[in-house]
Amino acid sequence: MSNTRKKLSIGLTSILATSLFLSACGDNKAANNSSASGENKGEAVELSWYTIGTPQKDVDKVMAEVSKYTKEKIGVTVKMTMIDWGDYNQKMQVLTASGSDMDIMFTASWAFDYVQNARKGAFAPIDELLETNGQGIKQVLDPAFLEGSKVDGKNYGVPANKELPAQEVWRFNKKVLEENNLSLDGVRSLESLEPLLKTVKANNPDVMPLQVDKNYGPYVPYDYLIEKFPLAVKLDDTSYKVVNIFETPEMKQALATMNKYYKAGYVPTEAATLESSTDVIATGQWFADKATTQPFADNVWSMSAGYPIVSTPQSDALIYNVSVMGSMQAISANSKHKEKAMDFLNLLNTDPVLRNMVDSGIEGVHYKKLDDKYMENLPESKNYDMPTFSFGNVMLTYLVEGDPENKWEEFKKYNDSGKPAVLLGFNFDPSKVSTEIAAVQNAKEAFWSPLMTGTVDPEKYVPQAIEKMKAAGLDKIMAEAQSQIDAWKAANNK
Amino acid sequence: MKALRRHLKDVNRNRALLLMVLPATVWFICFSYLPMLGTIISFKEYRFSGNFLSSIINSKWVGFDNFKFLFRTDDAYIITRNTILYNAVFIFIGLVLAVAMAIVLSEIANKRLAKWYQTGMFLPYFLSWVIVGYFVYSFLSFDRGMVNRIATAFGADPVQWYSEPAYWPLILVLVFTWKSLGYNSVIYLAAIMGIDKSLYEAAMIDGANKWQQIRNITIPMLTPLMTILTLLAIGRIFYADFGLFYQVTRDSGTLYSVTNVIDTYVYRGLKTTGEIGMSTAAGLYQSLVGFVLVITSNYIVRKFNKDNALF
Repeated sequence: MSNTRKKLSIGLTSILATSLFLSACGDNKAANNSSASGENKGEAVELSWYTIGTPQKDVDKVMAEVSKYTKEKIGVTVKMTMIDWGDYNQKMQVLTASGSDMDIMFTASWAFDYVQNARKGAFAPIDELLETNGQGIKQVLDPAFLEGSKVDGKNYGVPANKELPAQEVWRFNKKVLEENNLSLDGVRSLESLEPLLKTVKANNPDVMPLQVDKNYGPYVPYDYLIEKFPLAVKLDDTSYKVVNIFETPEMKQALATMNKYYKAGYVPTEAATLESSTDVIATGQWFADKATTQPFADNVWSMSAGYPIVSTPQSDALIYNVSVMGSMQAISANSKHKEKAMDFLNLLNTDPVLRNMVDSGIEGVHYKKLDDKYMENLPESKNYDMPTFSFGNVMLTYLVEGDPENKWEEFKKYNDSGKPAVLLGFNFDPSKVSTEIAAVQNAKEAFWSPLMTGTVDPEKYVPQAIEKMKAAGLDKIMAEAQSQIDAWKAANNK
Repeated sequence: MKALRRHLKDVNRNRALLLMVLPATVWFICFSYLPMLGTIISFKEYRFSGNFLSSIINSKWVGFDNFKFLFRTDDAYIITRNTILYNAVFIFIGLVLAVAMAIVLSEIANKRLAKWYQTGMFLPYFLSWVIVGYFVYSFLSFDRGMVNRIATAFGADPVQWYSEPAYWPLILVLVFTWKSLGYNSVIYLAAIMGIDKSLYEAAMIDGANKWQQIRNITIPMLTPLMTILTLLAIGRIFYADFGLFYQVTRDSGTLYSVTNVIDTYVYRGLKTTGEIGMSTAAGLYQSLVGFVLVITSNYIVRKFNKDNALF
C-alpha cells in the first residue's frame, strides 16, 4: 500500500515541478507585454540585438553610449549580445526555436541561414516597415540587394551595403611570380594556368603551385541552386533549365584538368581532406589559389599575409543570391517593437555617427579621428574589435591608414558594374523534398571534395557519383526545382 | 484523511532518504522526462511561431515522413551495419581488454608504478576527438606523417591513408581502444579493490596459484559489474561516437563506406536543410532501438541469473 503511495507522491512532485516550469514561462511573457505597453507612453524602448563575432569586453560600455545617442534620436536604447562565430548557428537556432525575446539579429547565407529561417518563420517580413520606417535604407541600398534577398516574394532582412557582385579571381604570390618572370597576360581559365604551374613546379620544388583545399570547386559558368549541391542553371540559359552539374561539359572538363594537375603534383596530395589553406598562406610556400574578390582586395590580402599578393579575374562580376545575402540584420518575428527596430536599423544604415560608434567604439577611447574621412585605432580598441561588415552600410565607416581616399566610390562603381546572375531572387524551397535532399547530400559528400580537388579520376568516379545521387532521389529534387523555377519565371516575367 | 496522515508520516520517517533522492529526481524530470515530450517534434514539420510550445502545436503533422530519409537508399544498410558492428567490437574490446588490464594492474606488486600506468592510460580519455584527430593525422599524413616517413625510410611505398577504406576499421578500433581503455579498466580496478582479501588468503592456503585465483575469485566477483556495464552499452549500440567517425577520419569522402554511421549520416544529410523534425526522428529511432535491445538483453540475462540483471 505504502509503495503505491510513494509512486503517487513522485507523480505529484513531477506535476508540481512541471507546473512550476510552465508558470515561470508564463511570468516571463507577462513581463514582456507590460514593456510593450510602455512603448505607447513615449518611454525609451530597449532593443535586444543579437549579432555575430567574438564577444568584446567593452560592448556594454559602448552600447551605453550608443543608447544615449539613439534615445535622443529615435527613443530606443540598445542591448547587444555577441555570439562567437562558431557558436552562432547553434545558439541562434536554440534561441529562436524556444521563442526567446529578441528584436534584431544577424543572419546571412552562411550563418544562421537566412532563407531557411525566413521560411521557418524566424523573422518578421519587413516590406511594409521599410516603406513606413525604413525609407533611408531604401535610398542607400542598391535595389539589387532588396530584390535579391526576397524569400517567396517578401523581404525578411536588411542587407548590408557592401560589395554586391561576386567575382572569382586567381590569386598569386607576387614573389614567386617575379622570381620566375611569369606574366599574367592571358591567364583566366583553369587551363590557362598550366604553363605557369609547370614553371613553378620545376623551379620551386618547395612551393605548392596551386593551393586548393576541401572547400575548393573550379569555376564553371553556372548558378547553383543550393551552395555545394550539384543542381544548377547555366548563366546564359534563358530557358532556365536545371541541370546536374556533373553532367555538364564545363564541369567534366574542369574535373579532368584538376585530375591532370593532381597527377602532375600541382595541387596538395591531401587536398580532399584539407580543412583550410590558412597555414600554407601563412608560410608563403604557395604560388596560386582561387578566391572571391572585391575592390582593393589585393591590398587587404597582402596586408593580412604580410607579403604582396596580386590577382587576376577568372570570371565576370555577377550578382548571385549568396552575394546579396552575405550579411544581413533581420527583425525577429517575436519582437514586440518591430517599428522601433526598423527605426534603429534605418538610422544605423544612414547615420555615420551611429554607424561608426557601433563599429569602432567611443571616440577618444577606442579610436581617434584624424580628419573627416580617416580615423586611427587607439590601444583600447582591442577591447572593442568588431566585424565591420556585419552591421550594415559599410560605406559610412571611416577609412584607416592604407585605405585609398576613393575606397567607397570604387565600391559603388564595382556594384554598378555587376550584372545579375540568372537565379538572382529565386530561392529554392526544399521542404517538399527534404527526405531526398538528406539522402543525396550523403551520396554527394562522398564524391564532392575528391572530385573537385582532382584527387580521383573523373572518368571513373563521375558516373558513379551520378548513379548514386540518382538512386538517392536527385531526379525528384530536380523536377521539384524545375517546377519552382518555372513558377518563379512566370511570376516575374523572365 | 487517515490515509493522508499515514502518508505524511511515511514521508516524515523517510525524509533523509527522500531528500537525498531529490536532486537526482529533479535532474531527471528537467533533463530527461520533460524533454521526452519533445519527441512529438519528430512527427511534425517544425516551424517557428511564438514560443516553443505554440511552435510545436502549430507545426504541421506529417506522420512518419521525417523517418523516411533514414531508409531512403542502400546507405541505410551501410550505416546500420557500420554502427552496430563497430559498437559490438567496441563493447567486446571494452569488456575483455579492460578487465584484463584491470587484473594486470591490480597484480602489479609496485603500487607506485601501478598508479603511473593507470594515470597514463586514463589520460587519453580526457582528450577531445578533435585533438585525437590531429594526433592520428600526425601519424597518417601522406607527406609528413610518421608512418609514411618510417615506411619510406625502409623503402616501402607511402600509403594515402585517408583514401584507403581497407585500413580504417582497424585504425578506428585501435584509436577507440587507446582512448577508452583507461577509463573502463579503472572501473573494474575499483571493483577488484573491493573484493574481500580473505577470499584470496583462503585460496592461497588451499594451494591455488595466481591463475586459479583470477579464474575462480576475481572474474566471478566481477561478473555482475561486467553484465551491468555491457547491458548499458548495448542500450547505446545505435549511437555512434560522432567525433571518432567524423574528426578522426577527417570527414574524408572516400572512406564513407566504412566510416559512415547513423550520427554522421544524419549530420551530413541535415546540415543544409536544418529540419529539426528529421533530426528528432533520427534520435527517437536510435533510442527506440536501444530501448528494445536493453529490454531484450536484460530479459536474457534474467533467464540465466536474476541477480545480474539491471531490473
